Amino acid sequence: MSENILIELRGLTKRYGYGDTESFAIKDFDLTIKRGEFIMIMGPSGCGKTTLLNIIGLLDRATRGEYILNGENVASISARRQSRLRAKKIGFVFQNFNLIEDLPILENVALPLIYSGHSKTARLKNASSALKRFHLQEREYYFPYQLSGGQQQRVAIARAIVNDPEIILADEPTGNLDSRSSHIVMEELKAIHEEGNTIIMVTHNPALTVYATRVINMLDGQIDTDVKTVADANLPQPISVKIKKKSSTPTESSTVKEQKPKKHKKNRRKH
Amino acid sequence: MATLIKTHFKLAKTAIKENRTRSFLTCLGIAIGVASIILILSLMGSISNLVKSEVDEIGSDLIVVRPSSTKDSVTSIVEELTSSSSFQKSNLALSDISAISSIEDVSAVAPIAISVNTVASEKNTFSSVPILGTTSSFVAIEPLALKYGAFINDDNKGNSVVLGHTLSLAIFNTINSTVGKTVTIMGEKFIVVGVLDSIDKSINFDNVDFDNALIMDIENLDKITGSTQIQQINIKATNTDSLAKVSSEIKTTLTNQKLGDQNFSVAYGDEITHPASSLFTIISGMLTLVAAISLVVGGIGVMNIMLVSVAERTHEIGIRKAVGASSRNILIQFLFEALILSVLGGIFGLILGYILAFLISIITPFTPYISWCIVLLTFLTTLVVGIIFGVYPAIKAASKNPIDSLKHYR
Repeated sequence: MSENILIELRGLTKRYGYGDTESFAIKDFDLTIKRGEFIMIMGPSGCGKTTLLNIIGLLDRATRGEYILNGENVASISARRQSRLRAKKIGFVFQNFNLIEDLPILENVALPLIYSGHSKTARLKNASSALKRFHLQEREYYFPYQLSGGQQQRVAIARAIVNDPEIILADEPTGNLDSRSSHIVMEELKAIHEEGNTIIMVTHNPALTVYATRVINMLDGQIDTDVKTVADANLPQPISVKIKKKSSTPTESSTVKEQKPKKHKKNRRKH
Repeated sequence: MATLIKTHFKLAKTAIKENRTRSFLTCLGIAIGVASIILILSLMGSISNLVKSEVDEIGSDLIVVRPSSTKDSVTSIVEELTSSSSFQKSNLALSDISAISSIEDVSAVAPIAISVNTVASEKNTFSSVPILGTTSSFVAIEPLALKYGAFINDDNKGNSVVLGHTLSLAIFNTINSTVGKTVTIMGEKFIVVGVLDSIDKSINFDNVDFDNALIMDIENLDKITGSTQIQQINIKATNTDSLAKVSSEIKTTLTNQKLGDQNFSVAYGDEITHPASSLFTIISGMLTLVAAISLVVGGIGVMNIMLVSVAERTHEIGIRKAVGASSRNILIQFLFEALILSVLGGIFGLILGYILAFLISIITPFTPYISWCIVLLTFLTTLVVGIIFGVYPAIKAASKNPIDSLKHYR
């Protein structure tokens, strides 16, 4: 399964300040993430969860250490290449949605496609089908403020997957949502995961760990506990086209999958 | 790349639309600067067009010799402005005239010397009257319509003068009975032999306001003033084809005449039309400079509003970077916005400038002069202003840290 390793972190360290004020957000961090994992990172505030996520998402750089993404060491590549990787391989979901208020949600979803060089028609087409997946196609021209928090977060997830990324990074995606919306959002993430996507999610809510295939507890910039709930062999593996309809389901554990989408479809209609 | 540019263009358009009032005011700043430059350029163009149309009327076989300074033009202009005489120091002499007239293919030569003096009649005395000293061949080159009487000729040149239309009215309160009357200049008496028809062209290639001028023979002028400054020599060639040959011959002849000194210029065709007065050049130059300053102020306005825009949209920049925008993408996005503001202002200014020029043309003899050159120049200028004043805010936007930007809220 070694070819299935997506991310490898070796001795990753992020230091803030110098001398007396020196502190480490993460220190000598080692982690290997396989394709198809749904990782939840938990831990107290200030333990370095978000810093870790930002480094994995190439928004931030480690002070030292290696970060191997898809077999390529990306710890010290140029900012320009980092942004290109961000556009093509990484999808972000934030706690506060981070949608551009001045753009209709269709264009918000199409945003990453601008920077990966898609034509306008392709952008709008892909964005539209991504929104359709989240049953928001009738609101394509709504602005973010016209949507509920749960809907906004679904738009944000649509934006994260529109580029068909390798990894989806979610920083407390349910932190600003009520329990009902949280549930819907988590079901969506779960559906995405079951199509073979790798998701790394930071959360404070222990109840959400049921969705994860692996739970990492962090403490003071290091791994405290690391529990896998699904064997590596049983991880869902990617299919070629993820945005399209879910008719072509992955081979493994297909019985589970076919039930789940139906369930949350119902939920969404109620919402 | 092409799609990316199109996208950036659209993004900038959206951003400008979002803040209509602000964008309009910023554009207005550029527009005023551009409008004043356009106004000045179009008036300057119209003046040289006036001269050009006059040259066309006279005929294309005209060659003009003008004195020029060996010093650089700015020094000579300043010298001229500070000296008491209002006309350029000339090194052209009467002997040059005869030298030129002996050249083959030259059909007529007329000098133009200008002096300012007091002209008196029995009734009135007028100071500061421009007196044009020339020869009888002047009318052979440049037809001057006479209302009454005749132009000075070789028989009567000793004591005759011709008056301009307005001057005649001013001195004798009449034009029809002026011929035959006497005027006194520096104690010398002269008989008026003719009155010019109203010309109403104060701007011409001779740089003489004929309506207000008194015309006499150049030798008389030399006698009463003591020293004659020949401002220009008009030469008529026998045919158009020989212009180049004749003008080069004139150059050689004059250079020999002056022992190698080349303080003169020989012009024919379109070269003649350049504004005859250096004062005109310096005034229009200064006006353009002032207009350019207002354009710089407009540019600072663009920079200011772009900085505000960057600060306001920090969160957006963070989001864009998080989803994959490189610093360069952000830079281009904001630079495009500044460029569009600036060029839009330029287009406003172009229209505004021409409207103003048109309004001025109603009350003055100018006709606004529109050329592609001016339009292109404006476009390029605004583009340059947009880049100069847009690049700093754009760099500022591009260099924002995505993590900090994402935490930033309006």
